[in-house]
Amino acid sequence: MRTFEHVNAPDVQTAVALLGEASTEAIAGGTDLLGELKARLRSPQRLVNLKTLAGLQEISYSPKAGLRLGALVTLAEIERHPIIQERFPILAQAAASAATPQLRNMGTIGGNLCQKPRCWYYRNKLFECWLKGGDKCFAEDGENKYHAILGADRCHAVHPSDLAPALIALDATLRVVGPDLDGELSLEELYTKPTESRRQMTILGPGELITDIRVPIPKNGSRGVYLKTMERQSWSFALVSVAAQMNFAGERIADARVVLGGVAAIPWRARDSERILIGQRFSEGLAERAVEAAVAGAQPLRDNEYKVSLAKALVKRVIIDLCSTTD
Amino acid sequence: MPKVIKTKTEFEGHVFEEYVVVEGEGLSAWEPQAPLKFVGQKTPRIDGPERVTGRALYTFDVQLPGMLYGKILRSPHPHAKIKKLDTRRAAKLPGVRAVLSYKNTPKISFRQGQTFVFDEIVRYVGDEVACVIADDEEIAEDALELIEVEYELLPFVLDPEEALQPHAPKVQLSGNLLNGKPDLYERGDLDQGFAQAGVIVEGAFKTQCALHNCMETHGSVALWEGDSLTIWDSTQHIFGVRAAAAQLLGLPLNKVRVIKKYMGGGFGSKNGLGKYTVIAALGAKMTGRPVKIMLDRHEENLAAGNRPATVQHLKIGAKHDGTLTALELRASVGAGAFCTWPPSVGGPARQLYLCPNVKTEQHTVFTNTGPLSAFRAPGYVEGTFALESLMDELARKLDIDPIELRLKNYTEIDQMTGRPYSTKGLREAYERGTKLFGWDLTPRSPSLKGRGGSPPTLGEGLGERFRRGFGMASQIWSGNGSPPAYALVKLNPDGTATVISGTQDIGTGTKTVLAQVAAEELDFPIEKISVEIGDTQLGPYAPLSAGSMTVASVGPAVRVAAHDARQQLLDIAAQVLEVPRESLTICDGLLSSSAIKEPVAVKDVLEKLENFMIIGRGAREPNPEDVTVNTFGVQFAEVAVDTETGEVKVERIVAVHDSGRVINPLTLSSQIEGGIIQGLGYALCEQRVVDKATGVVINGNLENYKLPTALDIPEIVFEMVDQPDPRANNLGVKGVGEPPIIPTAAAIANAVADAIGVRISELPITRDKVLKALKKE
Amino acid sequence: MATKAVRAKKLKVAIRGPGKTAIKLTVNGETHELLIEPRRTLLNALRKDLGLTGTKKACDEGTCGTCTVLLEGKPIYACMALAIECDGKSVETIESLSKDGQLHPIQRAFIAEDALQCGFCTPGQIMSVKALLDENPNPTLDDVKRVLSGNLCRCGAYPKLFQAALRAADLVRTGR
Repeated sequence: MRTFEHVNAPDVQTAVALLGEASTEAIAGGTDLLGELKARLRSPQRLVNLKTLAGLQEISYSPKAGLRLGALVTLAEIERHPIIQERFPILAQAAASAATPQLRNMGTIGGNLCQKPRCWYYRNKLFECWLKGGDKCFAEDGENKYHAILGADRCHAVHPSDLAPALIALDATLRVVGPDLDGELSLEELYTKPTESRRQMTILGPGELITDIRVPIPKNGSRGVYLKTMERQSWSFALVSVAAQMNFAGERIADARVVLGGVAAIPWRARDSERILIGQRFSEGLAERAVEAAVAGAQPLRDNEYKVSLAKALVKRVIIDLCSTTD
Repeated sequence: MPKVIKTKTEFEGHVFEEYVVVEGEGLSAWEPQAPLKFVGQKTPRIDGPERVTGRALYTFDVQLPGMLYGKILRSPHPHAKIKKLDTRRAAKLPGVRAVLSYKNTPKISFRQGQTFVFDEIVRYVGDEVACVIADDEEIAEDALELIEVEYELLPFVLDPEEALQPHAPKVQLSGNLLNGKPDLYERGDLDQGFAQAGVIVEGAFKTQCALHNCMETHGSVALWEGDSLTIWDSTQHIFGVRAAAAQLLGLPLNKVRVIKKYMGGGFGSKNGLGKYTVIAALGAKMTGRPVKIMLDRHEENLAAGNRPATVQHLKIGAKHDGTLTALELRASVGAGAFCTWPPSVGGPARQLYLCPNVKTEQHTVFTNTGPLSAFRAPGYVEGTFALESLMDELARKLDIDPIELRLKNYTEIDQMTGRPYSTKGLREAYERGTKLFGWDLTPRSPSLKGRGGSPPTLGEGLGERFRRGFGMASQIWSGNGSPPAYALVKLNPDGTATVISGTQDIGTGTKTVLAQVAAEELDFPIEKISVEIGDTQLGPYAPLSAGSMTVASVGPAVRVAAHDARQQLLDIAAQVLEVPRESLTICDGLLSSSAIKEPVAVKDVLEKLENFMIIGRGAREPNPEDVTVNTFGVQFAEVAVDTETGEVKVERIVAVHDSGRVINPLTLSSQIEGGIIQGLGYALCEQRVVDKATGVVINGNLENYKLPTALDIPEIVFEMVDQPDPRANNLGVKGVGEPPIIPTAAAIANAVADAIGVRISELPITRDKVLKALKKE
Repeated sequence: MATKAVRAKKLKVAIRGPGKTAIKLTVNGETHELLIEPRRTLLNALRKDLGLTGTKKACDEGTCGTCTVLLEGKPIYACMALAIECDGKSVETIESLSKDGQLHPIQRAFIAEDALQCGFCTPGQIMSVKALLDENPNPTLDDVKRVLSGNLCRCGAYPKLFQAALRAADLVRTGR
């Protein structure tokens, strides 16, 4: 790491003001940022420590308002929280599947949602890739077994978060505070495919901070599951993951949200699959159609065609699991 | 008087002839059933307390007053000539004490003339360009960014097969083929062998480049005191580093001291002198202060060695009853940019089975990638994967049980030399392993065709999408140990003993095993024994800790030295106690004689001699010339394959190995389990990835170079044949460090083939390959 | 830089660094005042500034677990924490375990089960087991595997690590 100044943020307004300045970065858990600083991918002149912000460390729950997670809540706290385990199991499952016990004690939910891609070209200083301001995606014709199969354009990296697909499946919203804004948006809206003028995976601008994540209470009878495939049994980012939440009206699927991780630059909502499922009774054929729809338009690269198979296998399994569970 | 003997030694598949000096009394091995007090007992590590408290001082932990840190600038290009190097800005940064490069250091030839410590040609991404010495590592890293280098890019080649093409860029001036010709071995008549065959199977097998990833990276601390150089080095061979450093730096041997007290893993990658050691010594000389250079994890994975990738074309001919008639292997091995020594990929094909007609041909090829180094059973892990995979295919084709096929081609003769094996416990290993695993009860079908749809045997919790499979593979490896290896045993006036040898404990438990041997021979309580190793200034020579040879090389020398000390003690005690020497015995550190009433403590005798110290000397005896000493074993694997996601879950490994007499069943079991777990990683997830367009290693870290975690570990069950090998050496021991990694990947691959009915002939067996294979099916 | 500092000052925040700044770190019950740059990691502060080399450095980027220490009682990777952000906090390292020359039961269990080979990852493994047993004196094998899933062991001591953790739990529970 190059040298930097360090400031403990006393409150959100001050943090926003500090972060609006040039060459300044926020640090919370630090598990993503320090990796970038150590690799000297970036060298901000100042770090603003968000961990000192009061009021963003809490998990609260009420039957009316649902679940509220302060942005500084750690993954370990989410994983172990009894109400989350009971009412929002896919969130607890996703948290438990991420990283390691130590990293989950350090990493925050806010940081997890905003983390940078793990693409091995992006993370290597020797490659001036498009996402870092260069003009080429090295993965496109290079080593791309971990890369995107859906929706990729100039950059083929995938969003690495485990929590994001689960929270999108749960229809979570965020409160974002910035120099000129203080508002709510859905988590799904946070993510964006990087574009020529905005080479990042979220819409957050300088000085904009997530302060809270809110999760509505799933309808009665709603069920969810989070599945993740890795190259080893733990401590890996997802090759492909699927978070799904469904509720039922009698034998019919009343609502379904299916979100894939590890397949695209953003958590990939399989809207066509959802449309196919909603209002229908489960059948093998229905599941097949939903599975095919989930990967429709997939454009695998040289080394990642297996991700299409994985995505199909996982989507099929979540549909069967959720439709065959009886309360 | 020392005797000089000419002897042959075998090391990792290569045979050398050398002179050795033997001193001390020749001792024969203990009888197999001899009642032994310490040898054969589960003995916790005598240095366990240091290791569990954090007090053990590794090279990484050495901090000297005034110590500076070095960081190396490495080439970003796979092949280039340095046109311009400007270190002035870096040198001016506050806290920077020196910047070393080819401009201000002597031109020191390295790796037998293939490069220089600072070369003006860089031959792989990661090759050393310059080194900053600074007050702290961060400052040195800041300075690295200020060094300006202009490179003239040269054409490069990454793939070994491409490197053999006539117009391929030359990595080394002498050409890309190591030694200018392939390693060739032939016996019998191959054509005739294939002509006699009723069945021929063949296949191309690929193994990946694997990285050691020792937890402690490579590195050194160098300190000059006058014209004497002390090096703390994370090395498997202190005497080798001393000799090489002295030679390169132009120093006499008595001015170089190499120390390695504790080491965080080596696995073969720390067998030799590293450039970082020479650079640290040069930097320390230049600055007048001690200098520490420890590689970081990324450098470790670029420049500190690897198990090279291989491509193996293997062909086996057999009669219908399974008798092998011909075996042919053509292998290419990617050496990386430098290589002085080829791993023996053809070893298993030449040795494991009885076969009169064999040809192996190995091309070891320079490429513009990081240089290879030994990695736990180099060559044999790779070669066994191919051989045992194809033997499995042969069994299937002939509809013979895989174990039966191997027994059909069992040999008691080392076919390379025509000599019999001293002992060979492989038949017993097959028998015991078969029972332990329940091999005969597993629902394997010799013909896998049509098994895909038949109901697989499913354990609890497994659904329809899983298929279970069973496989096995055998192991052969030298592990014989050899001279030269020397030891001293000092008896201190208080009745304690110190074992001294210039060997090193790389994590295997060497100290504990040597203490057991000394305690046994002296008949002292083991608590009275301490072991001093890892310092060239203290101990007599011992070989590198590699080739599964430490216990079988140094252990016998310690026994001879302890025996010598014991004889001297008896001589002295007889005179002090005024009893006939023949009447004296030692038991639990007490001297007894029919001529005295009460036993006398050794201490009570030695204390009468002021500070006289008994020093016993011992040397490793030569190996027998009429037999071959090898290690053998077999492993069985049970896997469950998820046919939807391609996941291979290894559920159980059963191993039975023959490594002669077991000295310490506790530390031995760690070697077996650890070897299997490394083999598991090699089989399923480990693989260096190099970007083909740029030659950059893009997963040189522990995030994307996947090692097994706690949750990846299968049930491991093992037994040792535990038959002392009386011809091997005076302990009856053979090595055990490498054997357990050798057959694991092959056994897993065979189990996967059994499960899914398709052979995956390329490691590692990852989901993409399994899913692809299933599609083919 | 200058104008930025002025603006930041207007915000009434304390800017520290980039040079050395003083922090208080309580390590194994003893409070130390250290002068460190903000870029100093907790790991380097422990090893270089306090000479506590029991906590090992193997990857320095949160991918191996050898530098596991307890921060405010919870296991973390010291290489991924900034020392400045541990100002005023309490850290427990491997050096805290044995008291008065007596090994901690976890340490005794590690030796008895041979739950180590080269020993380089061992301090981190022990600290993970310590964190587990502090919270759950009666862990299952599965609990042990999960808690050790963030500590790599290249020598492959895992089966013995599991046994040692369970033996340690037994020793701690029975007060031996």
